[in-house]
Amino acid sequence: MLTVSVKWQKKVLEKVEVDTTQPPYVFKCQLFDLTGVPPERQKIMVKGGLLKDDADWTAIGVKQGQRLMMMGTADEIVKAPEKGPVFVEDLPEEEQVAAVGHTAGLLNLGNTCYMNSTVQCLHSVPELKSALLKYPSERRNEVDQTSHMLTAATRELFNELDKSVKAVAPMQFWMVLRKKYPQFGQMHNGYFMQQDAEECWTQLLYTLSQSLRGSSSGTSENADALKDVFGIELLSRVHCQESGEESSEAESVYSLKCHISHEVNHMHEGLKHGLKSELEKASPALGRSAIFLKESRINALPRYLTVQFVRFFWKRESNQKAKILRKVDYPLELDVYDLCSEDLRKQLEAPRKLLRDEEGKKLGLKGKEKADSKDTDVKMTDAEGSSTASGESSKAATLSDGAPSDKEAQLTGVYELVSVLTHKGRSADSGHYVAWVKQENGKWIEFDDDSPIPQREEDIVKLSGGGDWHMAYICMYKARTVPM
Amino acid sequence: EQSDEDLALKQQLELYVERVQDADPGLQKAALESMRQEIRTSTSSMTSVPKPLKFLRPHYGTLKAYYETMGDSDLKKYLADILSVLALTMSAEGERESLKYRLLGSEGDIGSWGHEYVRNLAGEIAQEYAKRQSEEAGIDDLMELVQQIVAFHMKHNAEPEAVDLLMEVEDLDLLIEHVDNTNFKRTCLYLTSAAKYLPGPDDLLVLDIAYMIDIKFEEYANALQIALYLDNLQYVKQVFTACDDVLRKKQFCYILGRQGITFELDEEMCADDEERYAMQDIINNAKLSEGYLALARDIEVMEAKSPEDIYKAHLLDGRASAGASVDSARQNLAATFVNAFVNAGFGQDKLMTVPSDAATGGSSGNWLFKNKEHGKASAAASLGMILLWDVDSGLAQIDKYFHSNDNYVIAGALLGVGIVNCSVKNDCDPALALLADYVDKEDPFIRIGAIMGLGVAYAGAQNEQIRGKLMPILSDSKTPLDVVAFTSISLGLIYVGSCNEEVAQAIIFALMDRSEAELQDPLTKFLPLGLGLLYLGKQESVEATAEVSKTFNEKIRKYCDMTLLSCAYAGTGNVLKVQNLLGNCAQHLEKGENYQGPAVLGIAMVSMAEELGLDMAIRTLEHLLQYGEQNIRRSVPLALALLCISNPKVNVMDTLSRLSHDTDSEVASAAIISLGLIGAGTNNARIAGMLRNLSSYYYKDATLLFCVRLAQGLVHLGKGLLTLNPYHSDRFLLSPVALAGLVTFLHACLEMKAMVLGRYHIVLYFLVLAMQPRMLMTVDENLKPLSVPVRVGQAVDVVGQAGRPKTITGFQTHSTPVLLAAGDRAELATEKYIPLSPILEGFVILKENPDYQEES
Repeated sequence: MLTVSVKWQKKVLEKVEVDTTQPPYVFKCQLFDLTGVPPERQKIMVKGGLLKDDADWTAIGVKQGQRLMMMGTADEIVKAPEKGPVFVEDLPEEEQVAAVGHTAGLLNLGNTCYMNSTVQCLHSVPELKSALLKYPSERRNEVDQTSHMLTAATRELFNELDKSVKAVAPMQFWMVLRKKYPQFGQMHNGYFMQQDAEECWTQLLYTLSQSLRGSSSGTSENADALKDVFGIELLSRVHCQESGEESSEAESVYSLKCHISHEVNHMHEGLKHGLKSELEKASPALGRSAIFLKESRINALPRYLTVQFVRFFWKRESNQKAKILRKVDYPLELDVYDLCSEDLRKQLEAPRKLLRDEEGKKLGLKGKEKADSKDTDVKMTDAEGSSTASGESSKAATLSDGAPSDKEAQLTGVYELVSVLTHKGRSADSGHYVAWVKQENGKWIEFDDDSPIPQREEDIVKLSGGGDWHMAYICMYKARTVPM
Repeated sequence: EQSDEDLALKQQLELYVERVQDADPGLQKAALESMRQEIRTSTSSMTSVPKPLKFLRPHYGTLKAYYETMGDSDLKKYLADILSVLALTMSAEGERESLKYRLLGSEGDIGSWGHEYVRNLAGEIAQEYAKRQSEEAGIDDLMELVQQIVAFHMKHNAEPEAVDLLMEVEDLDLLIEHVDNTNFKRTCLYLTSAAKYLPGPDDLLVLDIAYMIDIKFEEYANALQIALYLDNLQYVKQVFTACDDVLRKKQFCYILGRQGITFELDEEMCADDEERYAMQDIINNAKLSEGYLALARDIEVMEAKSPEDIYKAHLLDGRASAGASVDSARQNLAATFVNAFVNAGFGQDKLMTVPSDAATGGSSGNWLFKNKEHGKASAAASLGMILLWDVDSGLAQIDKYFHSNDNYVIAGALLGVGIVNCSVKNDCDPALALLADYVDKEDPFIRIGAIMGLGVAYAGAQNEQIRGKLMPILSDSKTPLDVVAFTSISLGLIYVGSCNEEVAQAIIFALMDRSEAELQDPLTKFLPLGLGLLYLGKQESVEATAEVSKTFNEKIRKYCDMTLLSCAYAGTGNVLKVQNLLGNCAQHLEKGENYQGPAVLGIAMVSMAEELGLDMAIRTLEHLLQYGEQNIRRSVPLALALLCISNPKVNVMDTLSRLSHDTDSEVASAAIISLGLIGAGTNNARIAGMLRNLSSYYYKDATLLFCVRLAQGLVHLGKGLLTLNPYHSDRFLLSPVALAGLVTFLHACLEMKAMVLGRYHIVLYFLVLAMQPRMLMTVDENLKPLSVPVRVGQAVDVVGQAGRPKTITGFQTHSTPVLLAAGDRAELATEKYIPLSPILEGFVILKENPDYQEES
């Protein structure tokens, strides 16, 4: 009987008998015994062709000792998993956002970067978002039509930003903003003009606070939703040196001013300056107007502290808002304790101690671990943990925000930087505005109109001015709280 | 200011001149004799005219005049000899008096007057020859002189001069009788190097002579190289029959295997059956995988690498997107390719070959299904790339995908079978057996998988059976366009450089049958390319077909023209064709014309032949970048990639790096892929760094990021053990199959959006045709790896240099197996063995040196 050798994978099966009177299927069954590959999965190659089950051996002309090649395995056949993977490309847009890790950019509609950067900064405040969500679509009587429209438009825009991956065109919002504040509709040479972002910020917040006041289901206790979030209460002592008159007044503002003079190198100094001012007013004692000195202290802190660098001043000669390019450093973590009034300081004592203890515990823990050098792995992870302490504590803060029912979150007077609005150029009505916003995952994103660009944290504090690069105009700090 | 000595010599010579004109023949003779003596004995520096010649200068005219008056006599011939020598410095330009008087002279030993005289004479002969050719005058007297001069040069280590003269007088055959054991090597080296700069058909003639000399002196390996350069299988056969040493024949087989041509040994070439099978196995590259893995083990790079190991995202700060929670099909596809490129030929990886039962939760076991639609085809085919050249285990691993119920997976498995068999031949023809039935299946993508698989597996094989299978597809009017396109490419690959009429006809008809709309489709561009591949490097043979292409629809006519021209003259260095192509690039086109892409690629294809032309082309392309239209700028990076394939020249790297940030995303993507191609298989740290930075620069542009990933994979091709360079054997030989693969891929890149970035990313697998280990593996007489010390350094051009110059510079000594970078050359650092191949590349058999004595 004819014998052939069959090459299968790396093995050679020598001297396999071929009964040429039987169909090749029989031969395949022989091979099944030898290899365990079922006949229907065997592919036997004979000179550039496959051996068919019912072929004729004589037609194939197999020779004594010929080498055949067999392909086939008893392996399990690969099956597609029942649930295929989900690809980013197939996802609806809003779900792609989660994968991208940051929200969308805003298209520039023609010199609207002042507005875009303002919106991006405010958009990063979850409290504002949730307040807007509660805002009813029906206009209430105490809110005028344009304010209502602007508030509704803001809500829609925030929604869109959260859902979209591609850049959003804030058309509706812009139209309403111009309607409410016609000064933003100024034209020059047929184009809309660049505007001051600070003005936009202030006006927008003002409108929102007006329309959101008491909006939440009519309960009067939460009368002014935004005041909690942004409002700073100042207690001022007005004093006239000439007459010795003294009076005190209280006011509520939405931002602290950081004045820039020759002595100011750091934001803290500027803030102190900003809280002192001279004003001329009628003195009843003297019967004429006199110089009064006004010194203010913070009496109540917000959850988000806005600091505006007073970088622009009206330059009469050039008839424009000129810019002070002086470098003013600002910190990633801001402590405003010494700007507070005595009463407030007393309130802050306990939470601050708790915060200090917490941080001390972290450091102390690290110190102890160092002494006991057995468990190096733990130390390693812990060292990493403390290096990103700010990120972690922000998480802790949001956590405690999320569960206020257990313990009341208490302000500590310590704030961390969450967004910066910068300006590049020589006057407020020209140049370019950009928002730098810290995301929930702790990463910083530069929102340059429609393109979000990731940035490193150490680069954020470099936007302090002293050149023609972007410099901070408005900084927004988020309060660090401790549960009490 | 002359010294007394000089003055005396001068007077002496003047006296001789006077005496020569004397009536007394005896006196004349004595004077001539003395003059001759003076001239011959005068030795002088190379830079100044010998004194006797200088002093005789004023009398040249006199002597000439006197010569005319003399009657025929021996003396007259004597004087002619002297005049001939004097004419060396005194004859007016173009008068060729030296030659004139030489022919009138006594025909004595030509060398007795020194080298300079002979050299000058040779120059005048060349001029005279050209003149007489145009007048159709006889040349017998000249040829006699040529004989003498050649004999003189060949004896005196001046082979280049001899060859030059013979080339001028178009009689190289004369050379053969003058070469001997001492000078034939230098002669052949000069001949083969000169061939690159000669216009056809002179180059072929020169190589023919070199071949004959090599055969004459039994330098068969060199003869084989030339035979392969000429693509003359008759000569290859002759080499095998002429040589009777089995071991040397085996070395020839390795050379044939590297060139990648299909060649069957018969009994005449090797009588012994057993030996013949062993040799055929070598030609078929059956052991290529084994050798490659031995190299990998020696260099200790066997461990599989994952795409993340290549991306090295941890080196990038901040920017790298945080590990996205959702799979991106495009990024997974990129990972599939990176994985395939990096682990090519290693037989193991971390995505495809991991046993599925070991996978936890089936996440890694089902990498295939982390790809989408066409991506699944590429993933299945990537298994072929990972198991490249290892047919036995390759087929076993791919088998399971044949039974899938997903058409994309089956298509990928078919292509995978083709890839595994790429450049490896097997008597059982497993690829043909497995793929043939799928060619006519219903699903077009399955058909494409099978057809492309056949093209890759049988590239250059000129297999009649496959032709019979594929040609009907072209003529069937119901065949979808994409199937037609891939069929014509496959036919072009299988019949690469064959000038096969029937295949050409079939593709031409298929092209003529296309409708207006189809001609606009990017896929249609594959038809002219398939046609062009048939004539790859075949120069004039393309003319008939090029004539036919003039009748095509104008939408494709020019494109076809350019493709045919560039393919036919690929690797020839033909300057006229480069100019022709450049001329086409200079035009500023109306919208919609697209033939400039292949023209730009053509410049690279033609001028890649030798270094000088290559550098020139790089500079030319730089100009095109500045002045060309957008469609030209898009193809320039690809042309640069071809010129510097697997050879990262710093200037090209910089150009591409600049273009990779171009505002036109197509320019940028072409530049990025090209960065990968020039660094292919080099692990070049600078390119790797550039690409890493690009990956963070383009982190949110999915398509460009995809290109960056592909390029990263290419740079680490085979973990740095592979090359894509189609040139090998000291840049002398061009593997047509490898070039065809590269050109096909680059043409596909001209339509980046539709092909690589679209549904047909399988075109990336055409690169497998050019993939070869860049190694030197020495084996002993039993073909087992043998480690010996070798020196590896930069190759030095030693053509035409006297003595035995060093062939490498800046070398380091390693033990084989070693990796060879572009431009590297190796030489044995031991006398113990004799290599059987003159060029130490790829597999080299070492024979023990019988004269070797162990140093005590």
